[in-house]
Amino acid sequence: MTKRVAFAQLTSCWGCDQSLVDLHFRLLDVLPELEIVYWPAVVDYKLKDLEALPDDSIHLGFVEGSCRTNEDLHLLKTMRKKSKLLIAWGSCSCYGGVQGLGNQWPIEELVERKFLQADSVTDPRIPESNMPGFLGIVKPNPAHVKFEMVLPGCPPTSDNTYDVVEALLTGKPFDLPERTVCDECPKEREDKHIVKFYRTHEGKIDPNKCLLDQGYLCLGFATIGLCGAQCPTVNTPCKGCFGPPPSVKDHGAKIISALGAVAEMSPEELKEAFPDPIGSFYFTDYAASYLSSITAKKRKEKEE
Amino acid sequence: MTAMADTSSSSTKAKKKRKKGFEPRIVSFCCNWCSYAGADLAGTSRMQMPPNVRIIRVNCTGRIDPSFVLDALAQGADGVLISGCHPGDCHYTSGNLKMRGRFVLLESLVEQAGFDPRRVHLQWASAAEGDVFRDGVTAMVERIKELGPNPAREED
Ligand code: SF4
Ligand code: SF4
Ligand code: SF4
Ligand code: FES
Repeated sequence: MTKRVAFAQLTSCWGCDQSLVDLHFRLLDVLPELEIVYWPAVVDYKLKDLEALPDDSIHLGFVEGSCRTNEDLHLLKTMRKKSKLLIAWGSCSCYGGVQGLGNQWPIEELVERKFLQADSVTDPRIPESNMPGFLGIVKPNPAHVKFEMVLPGCPPTSDNTYDVVEALLTGKPFDLPERTVCDECPKEREDKHIVKFYRTHEGKIDPNKCLLDQGYLCLGFATIGLCGAQCPTVNTPCKGCFGPPPSVKDHGAKIISALGAVAEMSPEELKEAFPDPIGSFYFTDYAASYLSSITAKKRKEKEE
Repeated sequence: MTAMADTSSSSTKAKKKRKKGFEPRIVSFCCNWCSYAGADLAGTSRMQMPPNVRIIRVNCTGRIDPSFVLDALAQGADGVLISGCHPGDCHYTSGNLKMRGRFVLLESLVEQAGFDPRRVHLQWASAAEGDVFRDGVTAMVERIKELGPNPAREED
């Protein structure tokens, strides 16, 4: 029996879709077993087509992106209603994504910055007609509705998505591993004695050695190992885009904990080395952090 | 937007609550080898100490994961006080220095998130310094009273 599958995009960059399409001919292995009932990125479906489906009629519902607008939230809730199995697909969906970094500012400030103050704006005005309206704060999708499965990654690799679809089709379990990017990384590691941190464009990287050992902020040690260590393998420090392993509650706290242990620097030097800790330690998962949840409660109290 | 956002712009309801005698709830992580003993000494020598602090004993400040601190704040603690051995005196050589490194990053993270960094504090107090511990606690309570309740604190 073919499985009925839907792919929905909330606020996102659509890179997760791109990564799926990058499967190229391997898509042909799974496509015959799938009946696509909603996939606006590829086929001309409208929201009303999704709304017209009977409840629980989608076997596998993939949700990409997070809720920044009321329309996103409506689409998410509709997907939940229509799907038997809902999958949070990509770091936006699992943790809020890069747009979660916006939680540092009230939505009014973000809107003004974008529509009135950005350098590229020539006709400053805040669009109002036919707009869905913004949500005050970005949350991980699992904080809005229940999900049966999460697959992080920004984007998940083509293989990751393939594995999930295959597991779902064959009924095999798919659990997130506790391993980290370091566990998948081919670089040689030594005892860490970091006396200075470098930006990626500074100095010269020894391609055989661990990037963190050389003073580059590589977050592989705090990041779930699903991508095959693709960034450090090509000498680019891991930015932590897949988020932490399941047992870690707060990505940034984990990173700070490790940096405190390996940096042989004065407190002042350490502080200076990271002028933007939120941006550096929570690339795709600030909305899932303790601090963001505090901010959410704080804003709620203000509104009351 | 740090201290100001915390104190001046919270709702009038919260302000009223504060006026009605706000008693801060402070979580204190104390190292077993120094500050916990110091706290104990403060107790047995019957020093006067504000009753606002719940002490959690840890083996060394080096064992305090920054997520404990953030979790405590997210659960509504009004402040978190970390108390450990003086630099050079850590029972495990350098746990407190690791904590010091973590602490500066934590502080700067909390501040960037728009949360007053004075709600988290790191101090050193040895086993013999019951008075230093007491003074630290008293100063912390005063600081937090000034800042008012944690904005993340649920109504009780
Ligand atoms: S998870 Fe990353 S790749 Fe996927 S939609 Fe979000 S930003 Fe794009
Ligand atoms: S280069 Fe990065 S991912 Fe590889 S071992 Fe070092 S820290 Fe881990
Ligand atoms: S190495 Fe890190 S940043 Fe690169 S894809 Fe993997 S998790 Fe993301
Ligand atoms: S033993 Fe007291 S701080 Fe390490």
